[in-house]
Amino acid sequence: MKRKLDIGGGIAKTYLALVLLFLYVPILVMALLAFNRSPLYQMPFEFDLVWFKALAENDRLLNAGWNSVVIALVNTVVATVLGTAAALAFSRYQFRGRQVMQLLLLPPITIPWLVIGTAMLVFFYWTFPLMGLRPRGLHAILLGHVALSLPYVIIVVGARLADFPKAVEEAAATLGATPWQTFWRVSAPIIAPGVVAAALFAFATSFDQFVISYFLAPPGVTTLPVEIYTSIRKGFTPEINAISTIIIAVSMGVMLITARFYKFGGER
Amino acid sequence: MSPRQRQKWAIFGLTGPAYAWLAVTIFLPLSAMLYCSVLDVSPLVPRPASFTLANYAAFFQKSFYLPLTWWSILLGFWTTLFCFLVGYPAAYALAKRVKGRWREALFLLIVLPFWSNALVRIFSWTMVLRQGGFLDMALHSVFPDAPAFNLLFTYPAVVIGLVHSYLPYMILTCYVSLQAIDDSLMEAARSLGAENTTVFRRVVFPLSLPGVISGAVLIFVPVIGSFMEPRILGGAKGATLGMNIEEQFTVTANWPLGAALSFTMLAIVLVIFAVLYPILKRRGVWA
Amino acid sequence: MSQVEVVGCTKRYGAIAALDNVSLKFVEGELFGLLGPSGSGKTTLLRAVAGFIDLDHGQVLLDGEDIGPIPVHKRDIGMVFQNYALFPHMTVFDNVAFGLSVRKMPAGEIKSRVDEILGLVRLGGLQERKPKQLSGGQQQRVALARALVTRPKVLLLDEPLGALDKHLREEMQVELRRIQREVGITTIFVTHDQEEAMTLSDRIAIMNQGRIEQLGPPLDVYEHPINRFAAGFLGVANFLEGRVVSVSGNEARIDLKLGGQAVAPADGYRAGDSAVLAVRPEKIGVDAGGRSAGVNQLSGKVIGAVFSGSSTTYRVQVDDQVISVFQQNSTPRRFQPDDPVTLHWSPEHNVPVAP
Repeated sequence: MKRKLDIGGGIAKTYLALVLLFLYVPILVMALLAFNRSPLYQMPFEFDLVWFKALAENDRLLNAGWNSVVIALVNTVVATVLGTAAALAFSRYQFRGRQVMQLLLLPPITIPWLVIGTAMLVFFYWTFPLMGLRPRGLHAILLGHVALSLPYVIIVVGARLADFPKAVEEAAATLGATPWQTFWRVSAPIIAPGVVAAALFAFATSFDQFVISYFLAPPGVTTLPVEIYTSIRKGFTPEINAISTIIIAVSMGVMLITARFYKFGGER
Repeated sequence: MSPRQRQKWAIFGLTGPAYAWLAVTIFLPLSAMLYCSVLDVSPLVPRPASFTLANYAAFFQKSFYLPLTWWSILLGFWTTLFCFLVGYPAAYALAKRVKGRWREALFLLIVLPFWSNALVRIFSWTMVLRQGGFLDMALHSVFPDAPAFNLLFTYPAVVIGLVHSYLPYMILTCYVSLQAIDDSLMEAARSLGAENTTVFRRVVFPLSLPGVISGAVLIFVPVIGSFMEPRILGGAKGATLGMNIEEQFTVTANWPLGAALSFTMLAIVLVIFAVLYPILKRRGVWA
Repeated sequence: MSQVEVVGCTKRYGAIAALDNVSLKFVEGELFGLLGPSGSGKTTLLRAVAGFIDLDHGQVLLDGEDIGPIPVHKRDIGMVFQNYALFPHMTVFDNVAFGLSVRKMPAGEIKSRVDEILGLVRLGGLQERKPKQLSGGQQQRVALARALVTRPKVLLLDEPLGALDKHLREEMQVELRRIQREVGITTIFVTHDQEEAMTLSDRIAIMNQGRIEQLGPPLDVYEHPINRFAAGFLGVANFLEGRVVSVSGNEARIDLKLGGQAVAPADGYRAGDSAVLAVRPEKIGVDAGGRSAGVNQLSGKVIGAVFSGSSTTYRVQVDDQVISVFQQNSTPRRFQPDDPVTLHWSPEHNVPVAP
């Protein structure tokens, strides 16, 4: 019996290894070619950091990268704060329209980004000039990113709040803690993992976001994904591999570190 | 202030900013686009516009939109199907056949690419699929006399890239619902005389169906609207409705047509779900 | 040590009165049990004392002072919650120290107070564990230590042992009693478990539909229930209905509906009154054979016998009523279903109750 199970486990692991191969091979090939000297991706492989050096002097890419980081950070703060507040309201209060409001979170998640992005372009084109703003630009991109991140933040934090043991707040009060002390010393630390997960999600959503940025970026102002897309279409050099490798290494690294503190599957 | 009033203000203060934001960035833009879709002149053209349904009519009148749409739906279908065929067994293996630290590590490895840039992952496939790329080289190292091999800018290339992009979704949703199935249910079915395949067919699969469905929805909807992936991996050959919509906004600047096509696409997605809904409901997926 | 008094407390939820004009005095240092079925208002009363509930009418007095306007965190109470409500992100030490640290006590003093109280509940050495790593009984002790360490004026316990299994519950009952005695704190606890209420309490109140049905030491309430609800909720009782025939001195003769007569304490009865007598199952003796019924005797037929080690519970059909009888297994006599039997008991075990 035990033997039989082990064989099953062996097949399972082999299959999973093949799936992982499929998931990782293209990424690894791309990363490998970032370290190859040939500008035409030609073999044999010759190790060289020339493309990383070129990248360091490529102002367009670096600028786009900087824009992406700034937008992702601002997006994370805004979406996490607004989303957590809304999630708190949903978990604390029963009120009319609560369910409708929760249903309203679905369109931003389920409507294709292409539709949302073009809709924003149309709306901003009509309304922003009335307020003296340009219809496209980093401000428009930020507005769009927060809109996409918000529903995820509300859902992720809401899930954490649903498990919140309400009695601990009462317990804190009986022990003499003021509402303020109760929030900071009891409620906030218990909710924190959910908020951190939501913030990470928001950051990744923004840093990764291409479609919305693509429609809302005016010529000359870009984020990293838009710049990479333009470069790919114009005919690319291994510089793109170099920056892509950096992006993937950093984002996976961040996720690995967080995974040590937080269980994503929520299981043993 | 009475406690009731105070509560009202608290709710308003907490939810107001988030929903005002969503109104300005999602709901008002969608309304604006609906309005735009019935204009006869693009807002970019400084000429007074009047209302027309011509943009919607164009979808049926111009001969290439229907095949284009069919093409997009097929792309969604194939991508979803392959994600299921590859992803479900992986989710099953992970949830039911692997235990402990192995499971944690493998799970993490599978969701990890999901957190890295989607565009970069699509781009990485060009390195693998093109002539002289990784796959070509691997093939020639085994069969030196094989003809030159180039998958880039073909339909399969688009499907492979999309499956690669969306596979983690399917594995994740299936894994969640498979993992929730208590092992004792399977043991109970076995004790009642069911064989392994019967247990799977009658117990495990039906119970995991909600995961399959939500995975399929999460994949099918965005793939229908995809334009970046087909453009990079499919080139001119892999034209989709999404690519055409994008062009209406960025190249030809015919916004009203693009808007009408967007809503037509949304309608098609809704119709597909409306048709599937009774079938899924009967199977108790959304009970 | 402090005393707590609730005066005329009323709390309505829509048409339902969770508390209906309840007045009650909790004496200094006593362990007081609030007993009742769910929805009887016992938890509402406890939470009103804690300050979680705004009463519609009535006052909560702590040492004579109305604490109604005082918010929970300034009331100086200790409370143990149903599922303990331990802070999941804090260690045992930090959980217990919480009440002291929000009072800005110096660290050294906190340490000695926490160590002392953890010694009292016998949890020394587990300071650095998280609640998840503790057994149910240990969590219970942490919750108790956390509630006591601030030396509150009153200790409130909400179904404190409800989450524990039977064996552990009995053990913790003894522990709870010991700790309460050692600290000498006025304690109010809520339970729906009658055995627990009787084992632990100095006094109990039986609550039903937002009102107090009966109040007193457990033995008094058990032996002299004043109404059907109290008799039926605390322990098991057989109710015999009848009509008073005559009263002489402090004895009343009652014609029972089931046949025969009963002699019971007069208890204010007058001839012609209808009467209900409560008779506890363990006070009834069983003899073989269906003799004709005499005074305080009934004849019937065994319809069920449940053997549970030291005792046997019989169900005896008498006319249209089933009487429960509880026999120690010290007598060699055993009865089987269908055996005709005679039931008998002494006059003082007839307890007249309000219908």
